[in-house]
Amino acid sequence: MLTKKGKYGLKALVHLSHLPAGQLAFVGDIATQNSIPKKFLDAILGEMRNAGFVQSRKGKEGGYRLARPAEEIMVGHVVRVLDGPLAPISCASRTRYEACDDCDEATCQVRHMMLDVRQAIADVLDRRSLAEMRDAVNDALLSDLKHHA
Amino acid sequence: MSGRRSFVIVGGGASGVLLAAQLLKSDDPALRVTVVERSDGFGHGLAYSSTLDEHLLNVGARGMSAFPDEPDHFWRWLRKHGLADDSETPFFAPRRLYGDYLRKIIVGMAEREPVRLRLLHGLATSLSPTASGVEVQLANGTSLIAHAAILAAGHDTEPASEFSFAVKPGSNADAPLPPDAPVLILGTGLSMVDAWLALRHRGHRGPVIALSRRGLLPAPHRAGKPLRLDSADVPLGTDLSYFVDWFRDLVRAHQKAGGDWRDVVDGIRPFNQRIWQSWPAGARRRFLEHTKAWWDIHRHRMAPQIHSRLSAALESGELKLLAGRLHEARQTPDGFVAQVQLRHQPTIERITVARIYDCTGIVKDVASGSIAIVRSLTERGLARVDPLRIGLDVTVNCAVVDAAGAASDKIYAIGPLTRGTFFEIDAVPDIRVQAAHLAARLTGTAT
Repeated sequence: MLTKKGKYGLKALVHLSHLPAGQLAFVGDIATQNSIPKKFLDAILGEMRNAGFVQSRKGKEGGYRLARPAEEIMVGHVVRVLDGPLAPISCASRTRYEACDDCDEATCQVRHMMLDVRQAIADVLDRRSLAEMRDAVNDALLSDLKHHA
Repeated sequence: MSGRRSFVIVGGGASGVLLAAQLLKSDDPALRVTVVERSDGFGHGLAYSSTLDEHLLNVGARGMSAFPDEPDHFWRWLRKHGLADDSETPFFAPRRLYGDYLRKIIVGMAEREPVRLRLLHGLATSLSPTASGVEVQLANGTSLIAHAAILAAGHDTEPASEFSFAVKPGSNADAPLPPDAPVLILGTGLSMVDAWLALRHRGHRGPVIALSRRGLLPAPHRAGKPLRLDSADVPLGTDLSYFVDWFRDLVRAHQKAGGDWRDVVDGIRPFNQRIWQSWPAGARRRFLEHTKAWWDIHRHRMAPQIHSRLSAALESGELKLLAGRLHEARQTPDGFVAQVQLRHQPTIERITVARIYDCTGIVKDVASGSIAIVRSLTERGLARVDPLRIGLDVTVNCAVVDAAGAASDKIYAIGPLTRGTFFEIDAVPDIRVQAAHLAARLTGTAT
C-alpha cells in the first residue's frame, strides 16, 4: 500500500514541479500548503535527495527543487524509494520479504496473486511521469462523477 | 511499418546473423534480406574468429543459443555434432565452435531460402536515404537498394588512437616475438586473458605484465542459482550512489543467507538495460567513470578452468598485474620503455618490453573510428554519437538518430554500436533479444 510517507513525498514533488525553472521552495511552505508535518517532510525530502530526485540548497535562500524535469521523473521510481518494492502485503516482495507467521509462503495462493498485483502496480506507476500526475485533471474527473451520480 | 520488405544488414558477424535469422522467421514470401560482410567468415565477427581452443566462450553453452525462444539450440547443436557431453556443466565451448554454429545457421538459411536471403561478400562504405528507402554503397562501386538498412558493424578492431603504438592481439601487426621477451598488455579484463592465452599457446615464455587503472582481474564462473527478481524490486531512475548502496545491501543480505554474489549479479541481468535507460545522464556518466570496472569483473566472468591457469601464472610470476596508468611509452630499437604511474603511489615504474598490446576495450568515438560507413553517416549528419560517446545515438527501438535529433525510419543499428542506449549489448544473450524485437518491428509483427 502507498503509505503516508509515499503520499506526502509525491505531493511535495508535485509542489516543486509547479515552480519556475531554477527557483527553490522552502520546506515550511511545502509543508503548510500540503498539510504535511514539517519534521516528517524534512526526512522525506532528505531521502528523495539521496536518491537524486530533488536537490537542496542550505542557508537563508535555501530550499528544495526538482533535480530533473518533471517529465523525466517516474512516479513508480519515487514510490520505490519512499515505500520500498511496491508490495501490497509485506510477504509479496522478493528483496524485502517478510514471512507471515500464520502461513507457508510456498503454497500461499494469496501471496502468489499479490506478486502479480505488485507487478501491475509497477507497470502503471513506471509509465506515469510526475508531469502527467501534476497535469491530471482531478477536478474535472470529480465533477464528472458528481454529474453521473 | 508494414509494406517494407527489403532490408540490408551491414555486417555479417554475430549481430548481423542473429538479426537475419529473426527476420527470416517472417512468413512473407516477398521478404528480401541481404547481409553484407567484408571478411570471408559469416558469423565470425571479432569475438568468434579466434582459432584457438583455449579461447572459450565466457557464457555456458546453455546460455548461448542464437534464438531467445529456443534456449537449448546451441547446446543441442554441440551434442548433435559430438562436441559436448554431460560430463562438464556448465560447458564453456571454444569460441571458434560458436563462430561455426552461427555460420552454419546463416549459410544453411541462405541455401534453403536463396531468394529471401542473400549473403554478399563486400565492404559497405556509405549509405544514403532515398525517397522510398535507402541505397547502400559498396567499395566495389555497386550499390544495394532496400526499404531499410541495419548497421550491425560491431566492434572497432583498430587500437584506440591514444595507444596507436600498441598492437591488437591477432592482428597483422601481431608478428612473431622472441619467446623470452617481456610484454606489456594494456588492460586486465577478458581481452587481456585472451591475449595471454594466445601468447602462451604460441610458446611465449617471457614475463607478461598486465596494466589497468585498478589492476582488477575478472572473477571465475561458479554454478549457482540467479536470484529471482521482478522489476518492482529494482530501484529505477535514481542517482548512482543510491543504486549502488541498494545493490551492495542486496548482495550482503544474500551472502548472509548463504548465497553467492553471482546469484545477485545474474539475477539483476534481465533489468540491466532498463536500469541504464532509467538513469539520469549524470548517473550514467559516473557509472562509466567509477563503477564500470568493478561491475565488469563481477558481471563478465571467465570459465573456471581458465581462471585456475591464470591464478597459477600469477602465483609463479609468469603474469603480473599492475594498477596504474601508462604515463609514456618511448620507442627503442628493441621495443619500448614504458613509464607507468602506479595507482595511489607517487612513483613511476619503468618497464622495458618488446611489445605493447592494446586490450583496453576502450571504446573509441565511432565518429572517428575505423568503420567507414559509420564515419560517413556521422560526417553527413545522418547519424550522431550518443551523449556518452560510446556508440551511435539510437532510440530504444534501435532507430538511428540524426544530427538534428530526429529518429530515422530507414536506418537502424544493432549490437555493440547501440551501447549508449542499451549499455549491455556486447553479448549474444542480449543481442539475440534485441534482434528479435527489431525484426518484429521491421516486419510489422511487433505487438
